[in-house]
Amino acid sequence: MADDFGQQLIDLLPRLRRFAISLSRSRDVADDLVQIACEKALANQHAYEAGTRLDAWLFRILRNTWIDRLRRSTTEGTKIDVDEAHYLVGQDGATVTEARLMLNSTAEHLANLPDDQREVMLLVCVDELSYREAADILEVPIGTVMSRLARARKKIMAEMGIDANATRSEDEKGSA
Amino acid sequence: MMTEHTFSDETLMAFADGELSADESEAVERAMEADEALALRVEAFMETRLKSQDALKPLLDEPVPEALRQKVEGLVAGTAEQAENVVPFPQNRPSAPVSTPRWAVPLAASVALVAGVAGGYWLGLTEPGGTSGLQAANLGSPGVVQALHEVASGKQKDLGNNERFRAIASYKDTNGDLCREFELDHPDKSTVVAVACNIQKTWKVQFTVVAAQNTEGYAPASSLEALNAYLTAVGASDPLSQAAERGALEALKP
Repeated sequence: MADDFGQQLIDLLPRLRRFAISLSRSRDVADDLVQIACEKALANQHAYEAGTRLDAWLFRILRNTWIDRLRRSTTEGTKIDVDEAHYLVGQDGATVTEARLMLNSTAEHLANLPDDQREVMLLVCVDELSYREAADILEVPIGTVMSRLARARKKIMAEMGIDANATRSEDEKGSA
Repeated sequence: MMTEHTFSDETLMAFADGELSADESEAVERAMEADEALALRVEAFMETRLKSQDALKPLLDEPVPEALRQKVEGLVAGTAEQAENVVPFPQNRPSAPVSTPRWAVPLAASVALVAGVAGGYWLGLTEPGGTSGLQAANLGSPGVVQALHEVASGKQKDLGNNERFRAIASYKDTNGDLCREFELDHPDKSTVVAVACNIQKTWKVQFTVVAAQNTEGYAPASSLEALNAYLTAVGASDPLSQAAERGALEALKP
């Protein structure tokens, strides 16, 4: 069990990390979160139901870890250092170049969404979970997932000039 | 009756995400054919999804920092070591992982070519020469009975005649009887997946599935779904550790 489960966990690291970075908006915090989530997952792997989506199960653990940390940092009065949109930029040169190119309006708009809207965008649009799976992870009704998701997307449409009502939108206005 | 004007953003979004039922989807599709503005609204939702994916793709392509990767690999290795002395049951098959949660599997006839569950099939431990109702699967052969007593889980044994016995796991049923899950490969490339429990010194076959064998010689996952449903139904314990299994087998010796 451990071998198989462990390998799947390792294979999912890039996606866990992306989710953690997008969630926490800090690379350092993200790596911490991923590590703690992996520890919890391994310690509780008997609770994972074979045949269900492992990524969804791990996202849930990861998000709970993040919520937990937020809660604690609030009570402790410490502040998690959030580097706003620059968290998307990596350290090495190549990544920086690529990331800068991709630091388009969409990434910025995603980063600027309220937390509750950003996380549904990540789960459903980016990581392609179903509404049901997202609702389970967030522990909210499916209707709440839908309303947050619709609001987030309307906001992104508005900011990016994706016009749903008139003529077809141009690609990527004003991303420079 | 729905018209295009009654579709909410959420409905159109759900359509764009493939989350509507077939009926609802059809209604939206019909309305879109007649209403270009509606089609554009749907397209806008699709676009936000694709653009979000594109925007965060670079994060996925980045290499995982070495420190994090090593840390997690260390955790995985540590957990594997802890689990080493446990005979896993039943997920740790060398074949593909079982793809359905144990509680969710109906005992569908379609998952197996032949499924015989609970009772009726006896292995004559006391009279090894006797035939059994499972002659077709040769489960009643003395070789199988002996192997049930001898072969540790995770190990296999050639029974001759191109037959191979493979012990998968052992557990206790709710009565405390020792049960063993095993597989039997046959020369015709079929594999029997079975559970036998030792009840009053007699191995009684509780469950069998005959499955076509894959190239690795292990039963395919589909036949294991039925097995998992069975194990769930009878409240099988966690797998016994290797030591516990040895002890339980030892206790059966006359």
